[in-house]
Amino acid sequence: MKEVDVRGLSCPMPLMHTKKAIEDDPTEILVHADSGTAKANVVAFLQDAGYSVSVDQTGEEYKIKGAR
Amino acid sequence: MAERRVIGPTAWLVGGAGLFIGAIAAWLTSQGNPGNMGLCIACFWRDIAGYFMGSQTGQAGLAYIRPEIIGIMLGALAAALITKEFRPRGGSAPLLRFVLGFIFMVAALVFLGCTVRVWVRLGGGDLTAIWGAVGIVIGVVIGVFVLRKGFNLGRAKQLAAPLGWILPAIAVVLLVFALVTEYGAKPEWATLTPAKGKAVVPGEVVVTTDGDVIKPADATLVDGAVVAADGTVLADAEKVASAGAMPGGLRAALWISLLAGAAIGVAAQRSRFCSIGGIRDSILVRRFDLLFGVVGLVIGATIVNMLFGQYNLGFEGQPAAHNDALGSIAAMTLAGLAAVLMGGCPLRQMIMGSEGDADGAIAVVGMFAGAGFSHWAGLASSGAGLGDNAWLAMAVMAVILGAIAFIKRPRVA
Repeated sequence: MKEVDVRGLSCPMPLMHTKKAIEDDPTEILVHADSGTAKANVVAFLQDAGYSVSVDQTGEEYKIKGAR
Repeated sequence: MAERRVIGPTAWLVGGAGLFIGAIAAWLTSQGNPGNMGLCIACFWRDIAGYFMGSQTGQAGLAYIRPEIIGIMLGALAAALITKEFRPRGGSAPLLRFVLGFIFMVAALVFLGCTVRVWVRLGGGDLTAIWGAVGIVIGVVIGVFVLRKGFNLGRAKQLAAPLGWILPAIAVVLLVFALVTEYGAKPEWATLTPAKGKAVVPGEVVVTTDGDVIKPADATLVDGAVVAADGTVLADAEKVASAGAMPGGLRAALWISLLAGAAIGVAAQRSRFCSIGGIRDSILVRRFDLLFGVVGLVIGATIVNMLFGQYNLGFEGQPAAHNDALGSIAAMTLAGLAAVLMGGCPLRQMIMGSEGDADGAIAVVGMFAGAGFSHWAGLASSGAGLGDNAWLAMAVMAVILGAIAFIKRPRVA
């Protein structure tokens, strides 16, 4: 599973990191985000790339899981 | 990488928000806001700066606490609290974010409008705004290049809770001043453009619609002409009669502005609308959803402007605009680049600040300071064109932006 940490990064870096991470087509990816905007953008981006996405909110963090 | 959809379902959410924001902006003009300035983040913070510092910065005609700004911040705060997205965070190069906000504002006031008003102006048929849009695209392309080189202001960290409330606190303070000024009396030191006050000589001679001279202070009205204390005629009667209203004196009713602002704040917070992000994401990550926001804004503003008979297609006679193509392109190149470097347009900075992001709040404070400085130093444009030192200022700002981009590139330790 590929893991990406975009916590604390401003736009558009969460998307840049996520895009880079899915370049070699992982079947599973986990993105750590901590802002609502990063979460929304990463979720939409992964869905557009054909992943089914689930989000776990733990404390101050969103764990965004993508699988296909 | 497998095939990826470049326009997803969120395109309609952002597009709808853009449509709504554009429609509200045009409607606010019908309610009394300046032409093609129903919503402008730069102009409105400039007016707020005028209220607090106008006597020092020469902003007699550009001084009013714009309730839309308060509404946007409180609306976004409410939306963030309800959706549990309010997070006190910050510490990602706050000083540089102040500088970027400052530069954004000075550049925007050379063009006469922020990256939001470019689209609002286009939606009013103002074709001179095309130069601003061209500038934004150039600035964003440069910004994308810098981002690809690894530019990064660093990660924000979780902050102590009170630090997340900087911008909401500013909103409340502004609300108190706005209400006191509306229903009580304006503080002695504050500047307030009289409703529909006229600019006889922009920034120099300002009169109310009743004919009272409010600037210069020692001048009087004699047979319709403005005459200084020493007898010099500052403006003849014909000039006074034909003068136009100052933008600061054109405003919708306080509660209308406040509620419209709150609606915009909620729409922007929920949709992640950004006036530069669409162009940036299209080029950088080939994602077009955010682009629907500005397209929607132009369409929404166009429709409502036409409904209210405010649509005026052309290059001439556009409200609060000038026709200096090169100056407009250069100014918005700088503003677009500054916005990319700080991670979003001024509206987004306000939304982020209202979500507890202290860095967004600092960028907004930088914009506020930049507005006052711009008018104090005579850098802001007028309908007549660019200020004397505008090009010099833009050259200096280009050097500073270049330095920031260079300093914050990744380095091997």
